[in-house]
Amino acid sequence: MKILIDNAEVECKEGDLLIEVMLKNALEIPHFCYQEDLGADGNCRMCMVEIKGQKRPQIACNTFVKENLEVSTISENIKEVKRSILELELLNHPVDCAICDQAGECKLQDYYMDFGLYDSHLSTPKTKKGKHIDLGSNVMLDQERCVLCTRCVRFTSNITKTNELGIIGRGDNSRVAVAPGHELNNPYAMNVVELCPVGALTSKDFRFKQRVWFLDSTKSICHGCSRGCNIYIDYNETKYSAEKVHRFRARRNNKINKSFLCDYGRLSYKELNENFNADVSHVKDLKELLKDEKKLALVSPSMSLQQLQAVKSFCKDNSVELFSLPYIDENFGDEWLKTNDMSANFNGVKELGINYDEDEFGVSLQEAHVVINFDHKYLKNRELKSKKVVHFTTSHVDSDYELIFVIADFAHDSGTIINCDGIRQDFYATKYESQNSRLVDILEELK
Amino acid sequence: MITKIVSKNFEIPDSHLIDVALANGRYSSLKSVFEKEPQELIDIIKQSGLRGKGGGGAATGNKWQIVSDWDGVKYVVVNADESEPGTFKDRRILSLDPHLLIEGIIATCYAVSSNISYIYVRGEYEEFSDVLQGAIDEAYEKNFLGVGAKYRVDITIHRGAGAYICGEKSALLESLEGNRGHPRLKPHSPEPEFYFNEPTLVNNVETIASVPFIIENGADAYRAYGTEKSPGTLLFGISGNVNKPGVYEAEFGISMLEFIEKVGGGVKKGKKLKAVIPGGASTPILPYEMLKDARLDYENLSALGSALGTGGMIVLGEDASMVKALKNLLRFYHHESCGQCTPCREGTSWSDKILDRFVAKKATTEDLEILKSVSNSMNGKTICVFAPAASGVIDGFLKHFEAEFLECIV
Repeated sequence: MKILIDNAEVECKEGDLLIEVMLKNALEIPHFCYQEDLGADGNCRMCMVEIKGQKRPQIACNTFVKENLEVSTISENIKEVKRSILELELLNHPVDCAICDQAGECKLQDYYMDFGLYDSHLSTPKTKKGKHIDLGSNVMLDQERCVLCTRCVRFTSNITKTNELGIIGRGDNSRVAVAPGHELNNPYAMNVVELCPVGALTSKDFRFKQRVWFLDSTKSICHGCSRGCNIYIDYNETKYSAEKVHRFRARRNNKINKSFLCDYGRLSYKELNENFNADVSHVKDLKELLKDEKKLALVSPSMSLQQLQAVKSFCKDNSVELFSLPYIDENFGDEWLKTNDMSANFNGVKELGINYDEDEFGVSLQEAHVVINFDHKYLKNRELKSKKVVHFTTSHVDSDYELIFVIADFAHDSGTIINCDGIRQDFYATKYESQNSRLVDILEELK
Repeated sequence: MITKIVSKNFEIPDSHLIDVALANGRYSSLKSVFEKEPQELIDIIKQSGLRGKGGGGAATGNKWQIVSDWDGVKYVVVNADESEPGTFKDRRILSLDPHLLIEGIIATCYAVSSNISYIYVRGEYEEFSDVLQGAIDEAYEKNFLGVGAKYRVDITIHRGAGAYICGEKSALLESLEGNRGHPRLKPHSPEPEFYFNEPTLVNNVETIASVPFIIENGADAYRAYGTEKSPGTLLFGISGNVNKPGVYEAEFGISMLEFIEKVGGGVKKGKKLKAVIPGGASTPILPYEMLKDARLDYENLSALGSALGTGGMIVLGEDASMVKALKNLLRFYHHESCGQCTPCREGTSWSDKILDRFVAKKATTEDLEILKSVSNSMNGKTICVFAPAASGVIDGFLKHFEAEFLECIV
């Protein structure tokens, strides 16, 4: 079935939500309260459209498409409606964009440029509300910047079902708040910062660190556990400092994480910024060691399929016994996104037929003379007496070793991983050249 | 001019006590109720043309039919969240003849096949609520309610927390469910209200209190009063600059000026009538010049550009300042907006603040323009009719009394 939106035919199904049809077709429709994974609430009134045959403008987030629907988003009347509602949204807003972290990715700013562009008419005092309120879990609230879209409230009531946030007060005195003596406290709390379309909720971890227009983004996959939540890595390199990752943001994937991330995963970007020093060894020294008979390798189950494959070939060519062990934490998982298996690609390990039997690994480890560790956490901080240990690592190693090769982490190396549900996903390297070589390249050199 | 149907027992001393109530005809309609099939009762109500008396004036019988036809556990919710300025009729029923309401609830529950009823009483009505609870307790003792009754109905009073918006039926149900009193999005096709997802009938106190008379005396007896489209009577409230403010029951369709003169005792101190807000604060004001042929029914006042609303007239004498009167009303809307929709949340506050400048006689021409544009922004762009009502109030004052506002411009 087809409907007409601004005189152009758009394909859709009877009963589809108009705003979803428009967003799917990349048609511009301003909105605050509607969010793909939280649904519509109908309170912001920004998504008003004109529908032929209807006297009053209607909200697209509560209009279901049917045969012969004709929608206008550009008539003079509807433009005026949008302008007037935006004016009301911004009426008591402090307009402190210059010091607001949301600036640059703020819907109020975007819509003002699209539909506003009026001078302020305000001749009466603005309504004052609470500023820099620490809600807990790294989330800061500025009630004056809030547009009361209730995305954050609906997230805690409908998604996490923890109900920490609510609206108190009436009319222009309405504001988001936690109950007295309580705080925002759940393992997914920081999602509210990302859900907030304006600068009302900001992250203590990110605020005042970067202007968002100085950031580059790369599509990636969180490596915090086996769920494989889709993320954007936001990073940059400035004139006086090396490349730095500033945050992870959720990248919507309807099959996996929707628009959400757990706080653990969201903050795991910090590992990518850890600086450590190591005098990188020479490949020829490793070749020397490979002449020994009893060799064992342990590969991290968070490595990409490409890396695992390269390691597997390397081990085969050099008669090295290869193992991988999953990272299991029985206390980490929950019924939603977090899984007890904290390795990003253990399903990849299985697919490539790499041995993950812990007992067999223990026996082989005792007998081995040379141990090659491919970035597995288990061996990084473990002293192996009377063995020659070689590390291929992305992070600091706290034990004695014979040789060390620093390799590019997942933000600097693209690849493919398979999540806990068997979904195969690609992630990409950031655009700046890494100081460290890619594992695959080093192994290639060894051939 | 006065016709007593619902208010028949109001002047009888202790009419809220069950023995007095029984001696004066209360619960007598139940005999005819239980003789009939539920659908027959719905048909009688439809024939009587009974319209909701909470302000909207929708056909009661149709509402009953929709709930009756819908599958599920049914609830009857009585809207006693009477908070419209100028409206104070339901409290009279709650305190002077609560057994009439209970009798009506039993009949209504039977008609729509419900066994559970909630009365949502305005938070400030504590004393009336206590009287009502006393009457409910007595009705349980006498087996009109509860397990011992011929048809089981249980009534629970729920007292609101003082929000005007909870008189909006869907906000009322949200509040009754324990949530914030926010109106719900309107359905796209006819359907009942829902309380915890079950079909629910929400009726005003006076609507339910009119049911026993209709059932006992038949639809025609009710239609004998009022007009063709607005049959029956209404408890009209009259307040403001009048000599005898109060609640008086009268037929629909009577002359407004006559009512003010004869029943309300005329404007205080023999002053001239300047304007009337005909049916609670949310109905647009009408100047005296337009009232000559005004009749108190839904159609006539609607044709005049206002509405009958709850029938609570606010009378303004010649000395009344229209600027101050509007300020008074806008302060109310500012205070009571639930804050859900942007146009209402910000518009009610902005218009109220702008009125301060008029009251202080420091307004500018631009302020008047803003007032008009804010009013326009509030009209027809929100979930419920609260903002459109505020918009109508502003428009009414500006339309008929703009000169007084222009005088406040420096």
